Amino acid sequence: MESQHASGESWLSLARKLDWDFSYVDERDVFPAEICGKPWLDGNAWRSWDEPYKTSYSSYVATQHEKEQSLKTVDHVLGRLRDFQSLDVAWLNGLKLHAAALPLAEFAATIGNLRAARFGRDGAWRAAAALGALDECRHAQIPLRMMHKLVRWDRQFDWTHKFYHTNCWVAIAARRLFDELLLFSDPIEFAVATNFVFETGFTNLQFIGLASIAEESGDRLFEQMTMSIQTDEARHAQIGLPVLETVIKHDPEYAQYLIDKWFWRSWVVFAILTGFTMDYLTPVEKRKASFKEFVQEWVLDQFLTSIENLGLKKPWYWDTFLQSLDYYHHMVYASAYTYRATVWFDLVVPGPGELHWLAEKYPNSWKSFEPVWNRIHEQWEHCDPGVDFGVHGTSIVGFCNMCQIVLCQGTPEHNTACTLDHKGQRYIFCSEPCKWIFEREPDRYAGHKDLVKRVLAGEAPANLVQLLRTYCSLDFDSWGKDARKGEYPWLRRQPKDPRKEEG
Amino acid sequence: MLVPLYGFLEGDTLGLLVLAHDTMNMGKAAELLVQAAKPRVTQTSEIRIVVNGLEINPSLTVAQAGLTALARFDVRRN
Repeated sequence: MESQHASGESWLSLARKLDWDFSYVDERDVFPAEICGKPWLDGNAWRSWDEPYKTSYSSYVATQHEKEQSLKTVDHVLGRLRDFQSLDVAWLNGLKLHAAALPLAEFAATIGNLRAARFGRDGAWRAAAALGALDECRHAQIPLRMMHKLVRWDRQFDWTHKFYHTNCWVAIAARRLFDELLLFSDPIEFAVATNFVFETGFTNLQFIGLASIAEESGDRLFEQMTMSIQTDEARHAQIGLPVLETVIKHDPEYAQYLIDKWFWRSWVVFAILTGFTMDYLTPVEKRKASFKEFVQEWVLDQFLTSIENLGLKKPWYWDTFLQSLDYYHHMVYASAYTYRATVWFDLVVPGPGELHWLAEKYPNSWKSFEPVWNRIHEQWEHCDPGVDFGVHGTSIVGFCNMCQIVLCQGTPEHNTACTLDHKGQRYIFCSEPCKWIFEREPDRYAGHKDLVKRVLAGEAPANLVQLLRTYCSLDFDSWGKDARKGEYPWLRRQPKDPRKEEG
Repeated sequence: MLVPLYGFLEGDTLGLLVLAHDTMNMGKAAELLVQAAKPRVTQTSEIRIVVNGLEINPSLTVAQAGLTALARFDVRRN
């Protein structure tokens, strides 16, 4: 009965690492390689697994209760409709983007964590993953609860729940990533990809970088929501490092492959999710730093140091990644602006002040984008406000067969899309890293049709408006428009020729 | 026969699908691409067509240029 008198700390060390030797079954049957992932190691190889921040269930519940109470208070005080209505319209649309991307992905992460809570190879790992699953469940529910009240005011907020159930191209790309990352991965790949790369490498960008901009923009609710989520992320993200250390010890080549693959896959999604908001949808006077500067601070410095300390190398495509830091989200944003009816949030045209800011922040690349925005300005000058389709594309765009995002890698001068013939089928990729990921595991990826192939197979309509309405679950009320209806004070709108009006 | 092609116009921010016919000349396919990229790129007729890194004659048909379904072609601006 000595344990009754044990201090909290000593009780925790006993309770968090519950493992035993199997007498009546084989360890390989309890932890099958097919589910547990590779390398499959004897249980003893995992016994040194240790997480820096340990917590018991009771202290977890107490802490989470406090966080929930505090968030509810903030929601009560700052989450009224008029608080949202007072926000800048561009920022509100960044909020729609994040609100949609978060909840169901977080719910999928619950499932990934639960798999680790059963098939993780060490007791402490399983205990940490069980709490991680509860965290992710909370993260799924917070935005659903907070955004729900906005649906009656603005139908695009309905996409907070609806997004992953649609065939909008962004949803296809997000499902392509999260289905594999969170639902399909075995616990080892999940720990390295989600806990180490995604949560340690990238979510700081989202939950700290973006939270600070939200505060500047007056969106205290978003700031508090993301900060509250981040405190959970920081705890369960630590699952990744001890798993990665063990993989490096026994199969360093596989460890490097997982890092290379998941860094790129996470990057292309974060570049859109966070890059759009930081560099375009935040009012210019509220911007603290550019997306690139945030990536340099939160991803490059910290992530590179982490992997180099582990004896791993930078991903082989590092130079491509550095170039894409200057170009990629600008390429996608300009493309998305001119296809804004294909998404569920509105976009804005950067005006002279914003263009100047972007030119200062992106001296290596911005010259390539000036003509594109000049062209867009010029077209709005010839269109009436609100006539969105006057400044909009109508042809089908190409999608990468790996990441399922539009073919926007490289530069406006040289798009890096590349093709590959595999088993009688032709595939196109936005970049060499996406092609490389496909080539390493073609059987995993070859069967997934991108939007173009669905159209060519007759599964989706080729006409844009029909595609949006019948296939992507968008309609006039919900599809993206110019957030300011094309009414920009700096546009030199052409006076109409009355003779043409008469004719 | 209809041949869907991926077209990349210099100065544009994304690749577009061009639905060409195998008997269509490449100049026409390039024109379709330039037209489709109109929201982002100023129209021009001064162009060169590049396939697999080599400039080709715009009067060649899609089939003569060796392009099959879902192949890439580039349109460079002079």
